[in-house]
Amino acid sequence: MHKLCNLNRPTLLAGSLLLGMASSFSAAAEIAVIVNKANNSSLDKVAIEKIFTGRMKSFPDGNIAIPMNAAKSMESRDEFNQSVLGRSSSQVNAYWSKLVFTGKGNMPMELASDTEIISTISSNTGAIGYVNVSSLTDDVKVIAKF
Amino acid sequence: MKTFNKILSALLFSGVCVSSAAHAEVKISGFGSIVAGKTLGTVEDPLNPGTTRDEIFTADFYDVGQYTNDFSFQPETVFALQVVADLGDKLKVTGQLVAKGTDDFEPEFDWYYLTYQATNELTFMAGRRNIPMYYFSEFAEVSYAYPWMRPPSNLYWWQVTQFNGVTAMYDFEIGGLSSTISAFYGNEYSNDNKEMNYYDKLYGGNAVAVNEFWTDIMGVNWNLSGDFFNLRFVYFQNDRDRETIAPDGNIADYTPFSQQFLGLGGTMDLAMFTVLFDMNMVTYDDAVGTEFPTYLISVVYNMDEFHPFISYSKADQKRTKQPNKEDYEEHYLLSYGIRYDFHPSASLKLQYDQFVDQGDKATGWAYHGDSDTITVGVDFIF
Repeated sequence: MHKLCNLNRPTLLAGSLLLGMASSFSAAAEIAVIVNKANNSSLDKVAIEKIFTGRMKSFPDGNIAIPMNAAKSMESRDEFNQSVLGRSSSQVNAYWSKLVFTGKGNMPMELASDTEIISTISSNTGAIGYVNVSSLTDDVKVIAKF
Repeated sequence: MKTFNKILSALLFSGVCVSSAAHAEVKISGFGSIVAGKTLGTVEDPLNPGTTRDEIFTADFYDVGQYTNDFSFQPETVFALQVVADLGDKLKVTGQLVAKGTDDFEPEFDWYYLTYQATNELTFMAGRRNIPMYYFSEFAEVSYAYPWMRPPSNLYWWQVTQFNGVTAMYDFEIGGLSSTISAFYGNEYSNDNKEMNYYDKLYGGNAVAVNEFWTDIMGVNWNLSGDFFNLRFVYFQNDRDRETIAPDGNIADYTPFSQQFLGLGGTMDLAMFTVLFDMNMVTYDDAVGTEFPTYLISVVYNMDEFHPFISYSKADQKRTKQPNKEDYEEHYLLSYGIRYDFHPSASLKLQYDQFVDQGDKATGWAYHGDSDTITVGVDFIF
């Protein structure tokens, strides 16, 4: 599976330097990775990638991590897969299908909107998900932006 | 169907929200492939020299799914429904109902097993599962999970692919790499084995059934994965026995033996390319010292939704304890194709396979015969 590791870093760097005017440099909407307000873990991109590929099952504090995906039709899912996991959504689905149908993993749950993702995460301490930055509310904590 | 989907979504979603479920939480998912194809020419009949026959390509050895000159959906089309019921307290039960064209789409529970999640790292599974032989063995039927139409059938050719048994899986990290070790033990009593019965008929036999027994299957799998690669090592051994039952009920003499299976396979992501490989050695402790060295190498070029690929796989048979060690079964498969991810949950594939039989003609080991095959299919998951 194709990974854009080398391309991602400069893009991210540019993104964070030019946060305020990111929209003029990037066609893609900005994604915020969010957790429950009670969650004090700090996660880097690699850790987030591991949680969303089922290779890391708990936060650094030992609590079980419950990843939440946006529904297949939502743009934020493609954005997240491409910029954080470095794979197209189809490639991520292919990766999961081998785990799901051999009983070796469960694909992250799917939620239908940013509002649902935020409300589910605000009421589940172990939940982690992502939404469009424009949908953010005070009910959740942002741990990374891409 | 839409109402059904809504009910399903409601079920799934209720599972998401209820953190301490008092009822069994049931998840339904599935996969399938609608595939059609044909072979493209005629060859000299390897078992009847001097006569010709249509090319035959065995795409699925275990279920004897074969393409001929007649365009057909039957050899590889498959539909599978997976039901997972979470019984709570770390216990789950999974059933996979599979309907295949080669079985006239009569659904069968190919997989059914209990999963006990003892700790976050340690999992036990008991029941019917695929034997983790080759890199792609466990998900060989989930065509959506890999680039080609099928894992190269000239390697994935065994008459037994499943077993009833237990598996223990342990996840751990080594230097930032994810690692899983699984140990497994089980048996498979394959009564009326389809592939062995096919070969009996091919060589002019009239067996009413061939029963194939793989017992004391025990082995270990080690999976190591990092950011851009996945490696898998396998070793297993088992005892083999067979009953060829004649119409009058007589059972032919057969000398049981044991086999060892050793393999290393994996995938690597290199910029725009994905490399997939699998190297295996099967050894029998039979009187002639049979060995089957096999390997696969494939390169996929990834450009957005399009994934053209090329793949070469080779299988050989040697008899190390005989003066003639070499002239037995041998063939390679050269495949070209493309996968097109046209939908978030479905892909379209087109593949051309050139099967070259290098077996010894004089002794009847070239029994597959050469073939050129074209297949087109859609794989999906839900």
